[in-house]
Parts: sequence; structure tokens; C-alpha cells
Amino acid sequence: MKKRTATVLPGLGGFVLPYARPFLAIALALLVSAGLILARGANPIAAYTAMLQGAFGSVAALANTGVRATPLLLGGLGVALGFKAGLLNVGAEGQIYAGGIAATAVGISPLPVPPWLHLLLTVVAGFVGGALWGLIPAYLRAYRGVSEIVVTLMLNYVGIQLASFLVQEYAPLGEQGVFYPQSPLILPSAHLPILIKGTSLHGGIVLGLVLGVFLHFVLRYTNFGFRTRMVGENPEAARYAGVDVRRQIFTALSVACGLGGLAGTSEVIGLKLRLFDRFSQGLGYDAIAVALMANGNPLGVILTAIFFGALRAGAGKMQVVVGIETPIASVIQALAVLFVIAIGFTERARVTRREREQEPEQERAVHGDQ
Amino acid sequence: MEISSIFNDWLLASVRMAAPLMLLGIGGVFTERIGVFNIGMEGMMLVGAMAAVAGDLVTGSVWVGTLCAMLAGGLLAVIHAYLTVTRRANQIVSGAAINLLALGLTNLLYGPLYEGFKYRPRVALYPKLAPPAWQEIPILGPVLFAQPVIVWIAFALPLVATWILYRTSWGLNIRAVGDHPHAVATAGVSVFRLKYIGVILSGVFSGLGGSALVLADLGMFGPNLTAGRGFIALAALAVGSWNPTWVAAACLFFGAADALQLRAQTWSQTYGVNIPYQFLVMVPYLLTIVALAGLVGRTAAPKTVGKPYEPESY
Repeated sequence: MKKRTATVLPGLGGFVLPYARPFLAIALALLVSAGLILARGANPIAAYTAMLQGAFGSVAALANTGVRATPLLLGGLGVALGFKAGLLNVGAEGQIYAGGIAATAVGISPLPVPPWLHLLLTVVAGFVGGALWGLIPAYLRAYRGVSEIVVTLMLNYVGIQLASFLVQEYAPLGEQGVFYPQSPLILPSAHLPILIKGTSLHGGIVLGLVLGVFLHFVLRYTNFGFRTRMVGENPEAARYAGVDVRRQIFTALSVACGLGGLAGTSEVIGLKLRLFDRFSQGLGYDAIAVALMANGNPLGVILTAIFFGALRAGAGKMQVVVGIETPIASVIQALAVLFVIAIGFTERARVTRREREQEPEQERAVHGDQ
Repeated sequence: MEISSIFNDWLLASVRMAAPLMLLGIGGVFTERIGVFNIGMEGMMLVGAMAAVAGDLVTGSVWVGTLCAMLAGGLLAVIHAYLTVTRRANQIVSGAAINLLALGLTNLLYGPLYEGFKYRPRVALYPKLAPPAWQEIPILGPVLFAQPVIVWIAFALPLVATWILYRTSWGLNIRAVGDHPHAVATAGVSVFRLKYIGVILSGVFSGLGGSALVLADLGMFGPNLTAGRGFIALAALAVGSWNPTWVAAACLFFGAADALQLRAQTWSQTYGVNIPYQFLVMVPYLLTIVALAGLVGRTAAPKTVGKPYEPESY
């Protein structure tokens, strides 16, 4: 049968090395967005220059980029771990709320412990909150065969509403006598430390970077990582090799959800310092894009999160200088992802079955094969 | 307000709020039946809503607005179809990116849409066709006849979809292709064409759902106006077992829950009572998880949904 290869973007992915494809996608996204900027009556070069300045032009700009990259990094790692296990965790948004709620509960409680321990307990609570939240899709997927996609997606809205309820005046985490529903302030002993004085860059970025490198090593060099990738690659082969596939899926998805919980934790105890109704505003969905752009590779997640964070930080400056509104950052992100999957698949359509079996694993993760 | 009028008002709103969900739900039946997830319906609805207001604002015609909405939703669906069917890209990733794109684009263009207006003008709305006298019928009168015409269209659609799916040979192909694409291909039917049609239908109906949301009685557009309604439609698919009638019933139920929670919010403001309406908002999502977990009845998704179709892999 005649294979359906490229009809649009003919062979575009073939011109560059696999690792360069995300960069090509970003370039194309910036190009298309430049057209949008032009149509809105601004100069794209001036706009992108302003964006660069806003993202990297000063210490404050760099700090802003770091702050915005942090939740995308932590959330992206959660999605990436799922990816490697062949699971699509689209519930980072819900896990952010679950983690944020758990961290708030511990963070506002005056515990009779030294400050460092209070901070540690709060962070652990955030992870556990996300992981417990993840037990629902993990159990249903591993032992009942229910698609984790729909369950994690649905739980997003449950998480948003749960947080919204909990910060009401009459609810357990609500602050009394205030106009806007919110929790009391997180106690100073549970704050993530500010890294650069005078900015809001907090310790969450360090947590994210350390976990990113850690996850890279876990996936590459440990038994757990090997089993996870095996299950993601080929569950049948994994079962044959003696891996308890269900347990592996269960564990990997719970841990992935815990990482999502950490994204919410760092937002609450590093940046917002309270739990608010709807504090995340779609960070969890951006985290999916981050993980995909990075091929599910933890080190790539670090780079992509910083890139997306820079887009967000730079968009503010762009609005001030050339008057293009900040949602352009979302447009660029979305286009980058769409181009990545369009380019990535150009080659795959040509790969024969035999070749596919010899494909390196990074290649296959992008395709989301199970 | 006395109890009966509160009840009537809620019933009226339930039916009205179920209409956009139903349009999306029926679109969802088509796309998932042919084996493609479309979580991008949320974004297609959002873009549809904006296109509806824009078309209506410029021309003053609600029908031009409707057409714009369907075109806009359909256009995004073409991207989704191209990426998932031709390029065999991951359907969830493509859908998520389309949602992000829709959110970014509408937020970006929302300013220019109302440029030059001091306040957001209300555009022309869908007409109400029933004679006023019919609305005097107790209870059912207002619920059935005080509704804009788009609500009637939305409620007729499940019947049409049922007829198409279960009474035409094309419908048989649609039902078969999600479970056994290779069998359909062997019968000489183009699987790719069926898939494209299914995905594009879901986009067109999502756009229509967006226009039903804004042109039924709101008359204006705002940032992230759809607020997750596209995902509620996905929930209705699972709860309704991918069957148009049951999906429509689930949408009606979810619409009623939505109408109730909105009322609970105003009651808590006017009467100062604390009603945790958030739990009402959760209902569709929780019910979906329960339904999928097999605790209530049995629902089974079309077999190949989520997986790309590969002709050579047979």
C-alpha cells in the first residue's frame, strides 16, 4: 500500500537532526506569530527584541523568567514521567491544586518544630497530596483498565472546585473576615527562601532543577527507571521479562502526580504565600506542552520550561513596548507544540516496521506509542 | 420568589444550558466513534463563540454569526484531523495544543473585537419562534416555547444523529470504523475520509455549541467564556456510552446541575446562606469517573479511540 508521507511540510523534519526538531518547531512558531504581530500593526523584530529583554535583559527579568518557569518545570516533570511509562497524565492542573491544598494545610499550621523541618514537612505534604490525588487514576488505570487520560482530565475540575470550596470563609482553610476567598498566610517558617533579594525568585526553581537531574538519572540508571521505560515501550515484553506491569504503572503514575503536586506547592509557599481560588490559571495545561516539547526527557523539560517561562516573562515587556497583548505567549507555545508533532511525524510515516523496532526510545516516546 | 417560579426558572435554564453541551456531545459522538479523541472541542467551542459574536457584530445577522462559528470550529478541527489522522500524532497532545491555541488567540483578539466601543454591545440573538400564547401553558409552556430556536435545533440533533448512525449505511461505517477500521477498509470504504469527516463534524458542532452559548441570551464574548464546558461534553460521552440519546440525556442532566449551581451562588449572596455550590460543579466530572470505573452500568469506549490508524499494520 502506498504510504501516506508528507503532504504539507514535505520532509521538513528530515532536514534536521531529531534533537533539533523542537528548535525548528519553535522557529516556525515564532515565524507564524510574527505574522500575527504584523497583522496587529506592530513590528515583529521590535516585539521579539522587547520579549528577549523582558526575559533575560536584567537580573529582575531573569528572576521573572525563573519564577514563571518553576511550576512548568515541576509540573512538566510529572507529565514527563507518565510519558515514559506510556501514560498520558493530563491532570497536572488538578494535581497542582491537590498539592497546593495539602501544602497550605501544613503551611498555615503552627507546628512545634524548627523552621527547616516545617518547610520540609510542607513540601512533603504537597508531594503526598498530589500523589494521593493520583492514586485515583493510578488505581483505575493499573487495576481496572480505565483510561488515565479521561480520569486525570476530569479530576482537574474536581481539584479546582475543591480548592475553591476550601478557601471560602466557612470552610476549613478559609480566612475569616476577608472580602476575597483565600486561605490565611502561609507561616514564614514554611516559605520557600527568596534566592535574589528584591525579586520573587524562590527556592522552587532549585527544587525543580534538582528533581529534573535526579529524574534523569533515575530513568536512565536505576531498576525503577528501566522498568518504567520498559512498560512504556512495550508492556507485553515487560510482562514477559517478569515486570509487574500493573504495579509499575500504579507507582509511576502516583509519583508523577506527586510531582504535579509539588508544582502547586512551590506556587503556594514560594510565590502566592496563600491558597487562592483558581490560583493556577492553566499552568497544568502548559506543563503538558512542556513535557511534550521535551520528548518526555527530564533534562529537556528543564530547557523547555525555561523557554516557556521566558516567553511568559518576556510577553509582559512586549506588551509595554509594542502593545501586543501577553496571550501571544500562549499562541507561540501552542504553535510550537503543533509544529513539533507535525514535524516529528513526517519521518515516522516513512519508517518501516522493522526499522521502527530499532528506533531509539526517545524517538518513540514522542509518538506516544504504548 | 415563590417556590414554583424558582423551579420553573431553573427548569427553563437547565434546558437552555444543556443545548450547547448537547451540540458538543453529538459532535463528540462522531469523532470518538471514528476513533479520534478530541479534547480540543473546548478550544473549538471557545473560538466558535468568539467567531459567532464577531460575525454577528459585523453583519448584525445571528445566522452569519452562526456560520462563522461553525467555520471557525471546523477549521481548528481540520488541523486536529490532519495531525492525528494523516500525521498520526498523539490525539491528546494535539487537542491540548489546540485548546492552548484557542485560549491564546481569543484572549489576543478579544481586545480588537471590541475596539472602538465604549462598552461591550449586545449583538442580535437567536429568535424565539413559538407564539407567545403557547408560553402560557403551565410548566411546560415556558420550558419548551420560551426557548430560542437554537435550543430546538440542539434538541432535535440527537434524534437526527441517532437516525444517521443506526439507520443509514454511512452511519454503520461510522460505528464500525472506531472498532474495526481494517474491516471497514476491506469493505472498500476510505477510513481516512471517514475519520476526517468525523473529526471535522465535531469541530463544526463545537463551533455551533459556542454560538449557542453566546447568541442564545448573552450576546457578548468574554475571556475564557466556555470555562471547561467542552470537557463536560467529553464527560457526557463517557456517561452516555457514546450513544446519541444517552449522551443527550447526560447533557441535560449536566445542564441542570450547572443551572442549579449558578442559582445556588446567587442564593448564597442574596440570602447569606452558605451553599457549597462547588460540589454541584463537580458532579459531571465525578460521575464520569464513577461511570468509567464501571460502578454504574457498563461503558465501553470505541476500541481504537486514541490510537492512530495505520493501514500497513494489519
